[in-house]
Formats: sequence, structure tokens, C-alpha cells
Amino acid sequence: MTNLPPHTESELVELVRSSDVRAPDSLHRHVDALIASRRRRRLAPPPRLLGATAVVAAVVALALAVGHNGGSGAPAMSMREAAASTLRAATLPAPPESRTYHAQLAAAVDGVPFPYWEDRFGWRSTGMRSDQVEGRAVTTVFYSDSSGRRIGYAILAGTPAPRIGGGTIAWRGGVPYRLLTVHGAAVVTWLRDGRLCVISGRGVPSAMLLRLASWSEHDATAS
Amino acid sequence: MRTLDPQSLTQHVDRLYRAAWALCGGREDAEDLVQETFARVLARPRVLSGEHELYYLMRVLRNTFFTSRRTASRRPVTVATLDDIVVADPRPMGQPEQALEMEELYATIATLPEDFRLALVAVDVLGLSYKEASRALRVREATITTRLFRARKLIARALTPELAPEPPRIATGRREETRASGVLPSGEPS
Repeated sequence: MTNLPPHTESELVELVRSSDVRAPDSLHRHVDALIASRRRRRLAPPPRLLGATAVVAAVVALALAVGHNGGSGAPAMSMREAAASTLRAATLPAPPESRTYHAQLAAAVDGVPFPYWEDRFGWRSTGMRSDQVEGRAVTTVFYSDSSGRRIGYAILAGTPAPRIGGGTIAWRGGVPYRLLTVHGAAVVTWLRDGRLCVISGRGVPSAMLLRLASWSEHDATAS
Repeated sequence: MRTLDPQSLTQHVDRLYRAAWALCGGREDAEDLVQETFARVLARPRVLSGEHELYYLMRVLRNTFFTSRRTASRRPVTVATLDDIVVADPRPMGQPEQALEMEELYATIATLPEDFRLALVAVDVLGLSYKEASRALRVREATITTRLFRARKLIARALTPELAPEPPRIATGRREETRASGVLPSGEPS
């Protein structure tokens, strides 16, 4: 119970109305970013003035979004390409648990380790593969749970990380996680030490992916 | 009629967060709810017909809350582990006693029946007038008065140890049911 419980309804009303609980800084920052984004859209020329230019721009943006990279070296990344490796078959044996850090596997990209989830969540590493996506090395570790569901966890080498657009943002521990759907599978992307991470799995809800992603961010990298 | 100025929304973040916390009962859910509410509001230009911005935000918050709850109910239920427990922000307010008090207060509000909770959040947490609250929640002003009265009574009882808990009120007839839902037959006084 509280130290000073309200004894009357008027005291209760006063207690509720006097609350000065402040929203977390991360929420303030997120709202500020939304407002800034809205302002930028307002300042942009109206679409009808752009005419065909707008249509061309939209097609180019769509081409980038669906993976038709023109090789322009633009920092935008095809989400389909990045997520595709998480849904492919493993070509390498599963990395074992790190001997040094219990929360990590003995596999990493640019010093960013893959998390060890078996004890905590029941997701066991089952394989690995390496790919090249738009000139970047992508390493993916696959995990499976007892019901046979499969998750791919990809880390793209190199900085700065390519930009990923679309979807919705969920903040966990001050880190923005982007939630999307690609090829009918839920996908979560975020940055760890500046490297783009992508996690995806068919039949695995985005809430579960988000929980796994945010746990690895807080525990695996911090340890 | 006026267009909603996005910049003016920043002043409402804290109050909306408190309202969301009281609705959801948890800080993390509240943060998500407020984010989603602002994302919806800012998705396109909004025209207000002379209304207070907070009234409009309460409407969107309520709708977003219902939508997110429906979505969540369709997801498989997962059991939280120790890793899911978020350590409380050590700096929510100046005094730990007050922080504990507020944690408990919002958690108690979140246990209220939904109609009562929304009324209390609209009037006591957000500070809307009865008229604004009734419009935001799409019920009669008199219904807001009744729900608020009951909500405050329930909260006061829950937070005051020496008061015996009131047994749950069970609807005994159609009139009680219609009152509880806020939908009254036309012409019937509330």
C-alpha cells in the first residue's frame, strides 16, 4: 500500500491531478522526430506540381524497396534482399555457445556477436550462412525452437549501415526497432554498434522477434 | 475550423503518457500506445472544429487503445520471463515514495472496468471537462458523471486499507446493464 493513501475521493482526485510523471526521454525524442518528419513533408512541393517527376521518383523509390538496385551506391538497402537471407537454408554448421560470454555465440560480424538464446528462450542455433547483398557481407545464424519454428538473424558488415524505410517503429530501451513484413514474414531491423541487424521467421510473431531482438541488444552486446 | 499544428502537440506528451499508463497499467505499453497515437495523428493534416487539442488526442488515444488491444488478443499469448521485466526508471520523479504511490495508483486505475477507467482518465488524468470527455468517449455527459463517481469510489476503496473492499456489483436487470454501458433508451434520464 501507499505511504499516503487517499482517504477521500477529493484527496484521490487531487492525487491524480497533481501527478507530474514525465514521459521517458525516448518517447519525447520519438514524438519530436515524428513532428519533424511531418514538417518536412509539409515543406515539400505539393505532388500535383511535380507531375511526372513525382511518378518517376515514386517508381525509383519502389524499385529500391523491392530490390532492383541500380548500382548507384545509394545508401538505401533492399529490405527484401536483406531479409531474404534470413529465410534461406543454412550452408554452414551452427556456431557453438561462446566459451567466454554465456549470452553469446562464438560468431560475430565486425565484433558484433550473435546472441545465445537456448537457455533463456529455447531457441537453439542450428546453422549459418554467408551472403553478399549489394556489396556487403551478410552473415546469418539460424535458430529453431522445440516446435520447429525457425528464425534467421542476419548482421550486415560495414558502416554506415544502409537505410531501411517503411514499417513501424517500436522503441525498447531507447533503441528504435523497425517492424516490417517481407515475403509474408515478420521482420525486425535495428542497429547494433552501427551494424544493421535483421531478424525474421515465418510463423513467428513480430512481438516474439522484437523480444528476442531487444534482449540481445541489452544483454548480448553489453556482456 | 483550424488545422492542427503538429508543433503544439509536444506540450501534451507527458499528459498523454500518464493517460496511456492509466489505461494500460504498464509503462512500456503506455509508451507504445502514445507513439502509435502520435503516429496516427501526424499521418496526415488534421482539421479541428474549434476543439481543444487534448480532447482530440484523447479520442485518438481511445481508438488506438481499442485497436491495439484487439490486435493483441489475436496474437499467441507468451509468458513473460525475467528478461522481459523492465527495470523501473530511477528518475521518474524526485521522491521514491511518490514514485511508488504513482505506480500503484496507475496500476489500480488500470484494473477498473473499461468504461469507468476511460472516464477517469479523460477527466482526472487528462483534465478534460465533462462535456469534452463525453464527446471524446461518445457518451452522454451525465454518463460521464456517473462513471466518474463510481470510478473514484472504487479507486479510493482500493487504495485505502481500512476500507473493506466493495463486493463486485452484479447487474441485476436491463436497466443496470444499459446504465453500465452508457446507452440509455431515448428520453430516459440518466
